[in-house]
Amino acid sequence: MADIISIGTGTEPAGRLSAGRLRLVAFTAIAAFMIAGPAAEQIFGVQSPWLRSWTMFSAIGLGVIDASFETRRPDGALVPLDRFEMLGAPRNGKLKWIQNRDELASVIKRLCTVAGQGADIRVRARLGTRSGWQTIHTDAENACAE
Amino acid sequence: MPAPSDAASDRSGLRSMHAFARRFADWAAGTEGSSRPSALIRIGLAMLFWSRWAGELLLYMDQSPAGLFLAANFFVATTLLFVGYHSRAAAVWTGAVGLAMYYYFGFELGREPWTHHHTYLLTVAALLIALTPCDRSYSLDRYLAVMRAERAGLPPPAERGNLWGLRLIVVQLSVLYFFAAFDKSNYAFLSGARIEQIFLWFYAGSDYPAGLAWPATMVSVAVVALEYCLALGLPFRATRRYLVLPGLAFHAIIYLTLPVYTFSATMALLYLAYFDADAVSKVLTRLQGTGSTATAKGEIS
Repeated sequence: MADIISIGTGTEPAGRLSAGRLRLVAFTAIAAFMIAGPAAEQIFGVQSPWLRSWTMFSAIGLGVIDASFETRRPDGALVPLDRFEMLGAPRNGKLKWIQNRDELASVIKRLCTVAGQGADIRVRARLGTRSGWQTIHTDAENACAE
Repeated sequence: MPAPSDAASDRSGLRSMHAFARRFADWAAGTEGSSRPSALIRIGLAMLFWSRWAGELLLYMDQSPAGLFLAANFFVATTLLFVGYHSRAAAVWTGAVGLAMYYYFGFELGREPWTHHHTYLLTVAALLIALTPCDRSYSLDRYLAVMRAERAGLPPPAERGNLWGLRLIVVQLSVLYFFAAFDKSNYAFLSGARIEQIFLWFYAGSDYPAGLAWPATMVSVAVVALEYCLALGLPFRATRRYLVLPGLAFHAIIYLTLPVYTFSATMALLYLAYFDADAVSKVLTRLQGTGSTATAKGEIS
């Protein structure tokens, strides 16, 4: 059975019709408010707590750092470097997430210290931004020599 | 002066626009149907309010006058909403509590998690359910009305009413889906980069897993396409039948994988607003074993 349309049939008393029209005006106003919030912020860039946009999860993951480490062997070959193993840190501990550039620099410094004099460690790192990935460290040079 | 054929064409165009406007007005504000889906949403909303905030609002958590006042209002309003006593007023009261949490405690006092989208969605849903006949089924209001009718020797009141509040929920969900997809319609998201960042943030840490790039790109495109389809297709019966399961699966997946359980559960609950209210009622009657044996197959679509 389908829902039954109760207004607009032209058979209701005048009062009933007025209630229906009032409801339609209220419906239109509320729907317009629902659309105005996200349209104002997401299309026209107007920011206000009074207008709700629907930009869920737009900030999650921003600032995350993707980093990979390699070390140069005496024969010149680059091999992956396991930072957890080298620093004796648990894989699910604090070292799992490198939080920012300063922490990346600190990890590099610790790896170079453990690797010893003359170590050649190459680091590729990128930062999560709203517009995608931004390279913040390339492996063009020995990170221990910086 | 326009040629006769142009004038006829204009008249025909006007007539079809008028007919469309009439159909829309009837759908939006003139539909009557079973009150049972509205009542189920009412009960579900009360439970979602509790699951999200009851723990944070226990009386010992914030013993300031404002905190105690909020907690008292929260528990009284949501309890009335759940049991359905003065249900529609309780829905407005619950929505007002939600607004206070969102605007005052969230934005003014800086309780940041209360400014999130799930707070707003639950609040709006509570306010919109007040515009439905959510008091006429599965409620203490209904029980009292049936008692009154029995005492007066009258048949029980009909479990029916105007469904414009449910239609507004449909509009709200479509707006939400559309602008969620619109927000992701950019290279950063569609390339998979944003999904990769979110995956690293919650799961992988700073080690990019091998083979993530292609799945991330495919998931990103699929999510945006699905959200646009849900926005534009769920309100219509013809397309809804193909979108309900993907939509629910989408919310189930993000419920399990990301910290958006309140939002996901709220969205799933509000899907009840899409269905023909009388068809939902018929299914419920059959579930209770009290209705006709006629099948409702095909009506819930």
